Amino acid sequence: MPTNPDDMLDGRVPPPDEEATPAERAHAKTFADLVDKTLAGRTPAAMSADDRALLEVATVIRAAAGNAELATAKRTSIVEAALRQGVGAKVPATSSNVVPISRARAKAPWIIAASSMAVAAAALILWLRAPHTAILQQPAAAALPDNYKSRPADPLIGPIGRDHAGDASARLDTIFADRLDGYRELRMRGGKP
Amino acid sequence: MKWIIALVLVLASCSCTEKSQPGNGSSVTQVTEPSDAIDQKLMIALSQAKNFHHKAKVYISDGDTAAAIASVREILSLQFPSGAPEGEDVRNDARALLARLLVGQHQLDEAMNVVKEGLGSATRESFFTANLYTVKGEIHEAYAQAAEATDPAKAKTERHAAIESFEASNKIDKKLQDQLMEHR
Repeated sequence: MPTNPDDMLDGRVPPPDEEATPAERAHAKTFADLVDKTLAGRTPAAMSADDRALLEVATVIRAAAGNAELATAKRTSIVEAALRQGVGAKVPATSSNVVPISRARAKAPWIIAASSMAVAAAALILWLRAPHTAILQQPAAAALPDNYKSRPADPLIGPIGRDHAGDASARLDTIFADRLDGYRELRMRGGKP
Repeated sequence: MKWIIALVLVLASCSCTEKSQPGNGSSVTQVTEPSDAIDQKLMIALSQAKNFHHKAKVYISDGDTAAAIASVREILSLQFPSGAPEGEDVRNDARALLARLLVGQHQLDEAMNVVKEGLGSATRESFFTANLYTVKGEIHEAYAQAAEATDPAKAKTERHAAIESFEASNKIDKKLQDQLMEHR
């Protein structure tokens, strides 16, 4: 049972060979007018949900058929504007659909690209120039106490009297013992003598 | 556009210039080793010198002065670390002993050569060079003693030379002692 006899989508489905009723013919004419208005760019602001759905389907079918074309006047206007722009003539203000590209605007992408490249190059150079992790130890010798260093034996031996001029062996024993102490201490504290 | 390219080139050239400077932003980890620390090489050389001295003492106590001289000469050929002050001190002390042994063998010219070699190769004044001057004075005394009977003039000259050597030794000793006192 149809819930709404006026709603053809919700109403009874007639057999294929059945003659259209006057109501159906009237509805078909109304919908045809609606389609014509839509194609002419005068789509009604209000319509029933069923009509809107059918209209969208009709629009899709027409676009898929590839027959959609601009109006002759509009098409001519766009082509003329494009040609004027191509020869460098001033485009009338009324032709607002085609935006002329100025000389400065034409260079903008190149300037941005070049600036980015320069920044990237500068960053790369700075990165390459940056000192890597460098462990620079101060000369260990400068921090070494004197008793760890190779040094003159004068303070240890002192003046050599004439009567001890030949006691080189005893003096060398003294020097050796002193240097051995320093050498052992240096090794024990982790130095690399 | 050309200004941007020029800027990049300038930055790149600055980078290259600075990188070519040694020690600037070096990426090398540098661990400086103490070059004048007491090392194994020094200890080995000192130990060898000590052994030669002990050998010489034994030879001297046995009356074998020639062997003692040979043993002391071995010290002069030891390889000390380059620039080690102990090396110069030990060699000069060995020269002083060697010259004394040569004087005992009446080899005065050879003794004088040994002393002069030591004084000529010394890089600094030390108590050991002062000792060499002392031994040099002793050699001059030995020359004077030898010339006393035959050539009194030469003997006198040698005595003066001996005095000059002793004075040189004292001068060095005093200078070094003053320096040590200042440092204390």
